[in-house]
Amino acid sequence: MAKYLIGLLLLTGSVLAQEQQSDDLWAEMDNWEEQEVSPFSWAGFAEVALGRRLQRDDVIGRNTTLQDARVQLKSDYLLSSSKVSFRGDLYYDGVKNQLESQIRELYWQGNLGFLGTMGRHFDLKAGQQVLTWGTGDYLFLNDLFSKDYQSFFAGRDDDYLKAPSLSVKLSGYSTLVNFDVVITPEFEPDNGINGEYFSYFSPSTGTLIADEFSVLDSNLPDEPEYAIRLYGTLAGTELALYGYKGYSKLPQGADVQGNPRYSELTVSGFSAVRPIGAGIGKLEYAFYDGEDTFGNDPFTANDQSRLLIGYEQELIANLTGSLQWYTEFNHDYAALVANSLWPQYEDEERRHVLTTELRYLALQQTLTLQLFNFYSPSDNDGYLRLRGTYSPTDRWQISGGVNGFYGDETYTFYSQFKDGSNVYLAFRYFFEE
Amino acid sequence: MAIQGVGFAILSVFTFLSASGVAQEVDVDGLILASEKAAYYAGDDSRSDARMIIVDGQGRKQMRQFTILRKDVEDNGDQKMMVFFSRPADVRDTVFRVEKHVELDQDDDRWLYLPALDLVKRISAGDKRTSFVGSHFFYEDVSGRAVSEDTFSLQKETETRYILKAEAKDTHSVEFAYYVVEIDKQNNLPVLINFYDKNHTNYRRVEAVSVDTIEGYPTVTRSKVTDLTSGGYTLMEFRNMTYNLGLNEGVFSERSLRTPPVQWLK
Repeated sequence: MAKYLIGLLLLTGSVLAQEQQSDDLWAEMDNWEEQEVSPFSWAGFAEVALGRRLQRDDVIGRNTTLQDARVQLKSDYLLSSSKVSFRGDLYYDGVKNQLESQIRELYWQGNLGFLGTMGRHFDLKAGQQVLTWGTGDYLFLNDLFSKDYQSFFAGRDDDYLKAPSLSVKLSGYSTLVNFDVVITPEFEPDNGINGEYFSYFSPSTGTLIADEFSVLDSNLPDEPEYAIRLYGTLAGTELALYGYKGYSKLPQGADVQGNPRYSELTVSGFSAVRPIGAGIGKLEYAFYDGEDTFGNDPFTANDQSRLLIGYEQELIANLTGSLQWYTEFNHDYAALVANSLWPQYEDEERRHVLTTELRYLALQQTLTLQLFNFYSPSDNDGYLRLRGTYSPTDRWQISGGVNGFYGDETYTFYSQFKDGSNVYLAFRYFFEE
Repeated sequence: MAIQGVGFAILSVFTFLSASGVAQEVDVDGLILASEKAAYYAGDDSRSDARMIIVDGQGRKQMRQFTILRKDVEDNGDQKMMVFFSRPADVRDTVFRVEKHVELDQDDDRWLYLPALDLVKRISAGDKRTSFVGSHFFYEDVSGRAVSEDTFSLQKETETRYILKAEAKDTHSVEFAYYVVEIDKQNNLPVLINFYDKNHTNYRRVEAVSVDTIEGYPTVTRSKVTDLTSGGYTLMEFRNMTYNLGLNEGVFSERSLRTPPVQWLK
């Protein structure tokens, strides 16, 4: 009996303590309004991240795959109906042993209503910005905006998979259809795997190499890229048409001396997304129309059709699963093989990739666990990503994970990075005004 | 105010047992519709700033601050909602878009905008009784649980409140066995909801802490959710609320995910 009484007393005590704490917190909230006056706001984080190879890479020698000491600052200035945004990173990259900076965002964004009544139907975003569209998870068909695969493979935050570009985006809206037109005045290539962090397969030597190649200025276009999207919703299905005119985002082509180059590329495609059953279904298609119309130029990639079908659904509370089937079809395949300098290393006519994702939110969403696997049945290789992020307060976050590449051959897409398989850990501390 | 925190709920086991005080003439269906309307459909549209303080069982605090825009398609019916996050720093400019559908066989449509990637992601409907952005509020507490999902019965009437018990029509879709909701007779707002499991244990509580009349609409301005198992709780406070702004359809679209309608967010 005494035990129960003490239990009851303790319980009452803790309830009272909680009431007291609630009252204090309500009082704390009263300061809120005063903090909100300024149109200027800033915030940021400091981060250290370390990654190690899970095996030796004899070509690179170095075991470190990630060694960042980074500060990111973000600030916004709100105008009457528009805003100016900045997001910039300054970091020491221990893998390259260099101090690096990157302006990820510095743009003005707003409505064009000040130009007249018509202007209200248009928004403009101009400046350094990150751009994304399309329906795939980690697979891109009609999204030709810049990416940074080196960061992705090394285990940097997902944000860094997208690289910024200096672009102007004009968006128009009507009841039937909306559009975006993006002009990037100077071609902005992807940051691909170039031997800095990870070695890659060279068909000319038939081995893995880590030459930190750079593309000659003469092979790097300084011409604009154009991207357009028309989209709308019809009977609950989100439909979009896409177009791109520019250059291959990776230097897959070669000039007559064999130096890597970016070749001209036009892409057109469409996508559809809608709820199916308890989940979301998606379909996306893109036609990659390059310089090598007949497929007989060994120095330039053939035309390709790319197709993606995906489905995502919450399996049980807080656990979401998704599946994607992605395929690339190389047009004029016979000509490609007949003219290839190394037919034994060429892609299959059809390359397939199946992706599986499981995402789990636990501990009141302070812990996120993600498994994402790319598996190619045609190449018999794949890439497994495991990642956990824990952030029990607004102040800090710890994340860690594994990037594991696997496969039979050294020359296939994922398998060539086997020696780059790595494990990483990062700690991020947030600060704000 | 769309997100008036307080949903619908429960009775203590004691009141549940003493159903004798029930006045038979109360129109329960009318009452819950009036209550739903008062809690989630005040005006034709609204805006509000909101701040949440999340306190976990160990006393660790987190904060979320956001602006909510809401527009009704019809009273007690479908609604459109946008939630623009401003704090903490790592979720700033994240936007959540919901098209709420009250038909039982139609899931809500949901989208999320992640600014650092410029990514608009359609989210599968999912379990609405999971945490809203890490708080003790559920998505459903924020968007409003359609009263058509539950069967209500009047348990008791006091001088100031109607006390109703609610059971889900689809018991598999919810974690509770039943809930008991207390509705304030004066303003029809649900002011206390207690959730019970099948052992009649009260494990969760949603309560209206302050109610103010704003532009003629009684509005919950402070609410609290308590996880009675862990001791964790979340406080939510609404500020700068306005009703009937004449928000147009375009505000509730992909356009506002990518280009926030700055004039409504200040």
